[in-house]
Amino acid sequence: MKIGFIGLGIMGRPMALNLLKAGFEVDVWARRADAMRPLLEAGAMAAQHPAALAISSDLVISMVSDAPDVREVMLGENGVSSGVSAGAKAGLVAVDMSTILPTTARQIASELKDFGVDFLDAPVSGGEAGAIAGTLSIMVGGSKAAFATAHPVLACMGKNIVHVGDSGAGQVAKAANQIVTGVGVLTVAEALNFAGQNGVDPAGVREALMEGFARSKILENHGQRMLDRNFKPGFKSWMHQKDMNIVMQSAQELGVSLPAAAVAAQMFNAMVGAGLGEDDSVAMLKLLERLSGEEK
Amino acid sequence: MSLGARLGFVGLGAMGRPMVLNLLRAGYTVSVWARRPEVAQPLVEAGALRCVSPVDVARRSDVVFASLTASADVEQIALGSDGLIEGLAPGSIFVDMSSIAPTVTRSIAERLSERGVEMIDAPVSGGVQGAIDGALVIMAGGKSEVLERVRPLFSVLGKKVVHIGETGAGQVAKLCNQMVMVNTIQAVAEALHLAAAAGVDPAAVWQALAGGSAASRVLDVSGKRMVERRFTEGMVAASQHKDYGVLMNEAFRSGVLLPVAGQVWQQLNVLMGQGWGGDDTANLLRVLELRGKTP
Repeated sequence: MKIGFIGLGIMGRPMALNLLKAGFEVDVWARRADAMRPLLEAGAMAAQHPAALAISSDLVISMVSDAPDVREVMLGENGVSSGVSAGAKAGLVAVDMSTILPTTARQIASELKDFGVDFLDAPVSGGEAGAIAGTLSIMVGGSKAAFATAHPVLACMGKNIVHVGDSGAGQVAKAANQIVTGVGVLTVAEALNFAGQNGVDPAGVREALMEGFARSKILENHGQRMLDRNFKPGFKSWMHQKDMNIVMQSAQELGVSLPAAAVAAQMFNAMVGAGLGEDDSVAMLKLLERLSGEEK
Repeated sequence: MSLGARLGFVGLGAMGRPMVLNLLRAGYTVSVWARRPEVAQPLVEAGALRCVSPVDVARRSDVVFASLTASADVEQIALGSDGLIEGLAPGSIFVDMSSIAPTVTRSIAERLSERGVEMIDAPVSGGVQGAIDGALVIMAGGKSEVLERVRPLFSVLGKKVVHIGETGAGQVAKLCNQMVMVNTIQAVAEALHLAAAAGVDPAAVWQALAGGSAASRVLDVSGKRMVERRFTEGMVAASQHKDYGVLMNEAFRSGVLLPVAGQVWQQLNVLMGQGWGGDDTANLLRVLELRGKTP
């Protein structure tokens, strides 16, 4: 199977490299030509535009930063859909692994269907480290047939690959994931800051909590990085802020209350406003320390 | 701006209609357009000139007003095909009285300025009654000299005009206005909800609060509706919900912490989910009362 890969940023680059390592033939396209270089050196071929990728590939993957970019590479001028009109294979499967609004994913799926393209939304969690190690969690929405086609390819980039449901379901699962992790990071940072402000060693508190019901992956991993004051990304705060904005927009569309996520979203706004956007989301601790009157 | 000025108006809804009538009454010539011709009919009978498209309005006007619902509507009417931009002459002015996203306002102004067309964003507060009475508060963004040219027109529509700042500043002020108003409605709802839950007469609490430092216009108007349980008339909650979407996106873009507004937004989401969007925002009280009930 030949794969076309669009978007070679922090996440897309290692994901595409893993496909090459697994022995797939990969054509790539990125807006900036220099972003393609590491992939070309590893054996990928450069395409002129997404339409050309669609013509040369059996499966197209996009990993870009925002909904307008997804729309552009899928349905814009020289996008995947125009490749179909120019002779791409029948039954082409397109997989978008970016994080966007579920309603936007459904809209793009329905528009691509008119071109005979079967679209999967397949956002990921696991960050840059997961992308490099090929251990991403991949949450997929779309048809069973397209999922079956894409599965062997996705399996080279991630290990926990779940077909959540129809179009948009992958993005809904990702949004739910960001609610849990966004609120979780805030909660752990609050607990550790609370301990510290009480004159108690946060490391001891974390250790105590780890044996009980408060145990979680976020307490374990993010909590440890907070204690180590290791704020290197990981997952940059501004990206989590962007994802929380998607979550809250989705709640607005649905008429659903997300009170805890709303607080977390506001705190991520404050992180970005406070100049912590390039730090990992564990820098939430720094924000809370400042709000407690500490200068750090 | 003399009475000889040719005015145009697009968007003839609950707000736009009375605004046009006031301009006509003041003696101005007003060209109007609405998507559905029957909407323009009463204004045409009152002396307005009927146009066939936004661009038609633009060609016949020195100043074009818009009073529309959402950012996308204003963008479409101003910049879309057959839009105002195709017909506005250099030196003419587009006055947008809709409440939309400041970012959209700025991008429309930029496109218009390429054609030498000026823009003032001038969202209002005061509601339909204020529009009828010509008693709106107008929050203006844009160049001072342009605002001075349209000020005589504003004095027909409103009782107070505040020049907030550059293009988009009027929209920011409007968002602040909405936030203070609806956050306060929520606060009043919580107070009356607590009173009732504690077995105390909400009407008595409302009366007591009205005399003290918790007094406010929202307490007067929305609080009274809550006490009298008149939930259908008044402000349209859906429009406030729309404004909160814009407000919270502005907080997102600016990296600003709005914890209370974030929570009120969630309560508005529930209100919408209950299907109460067409009713008054005082329904925030009923959202609090939902506790314990299954949908």
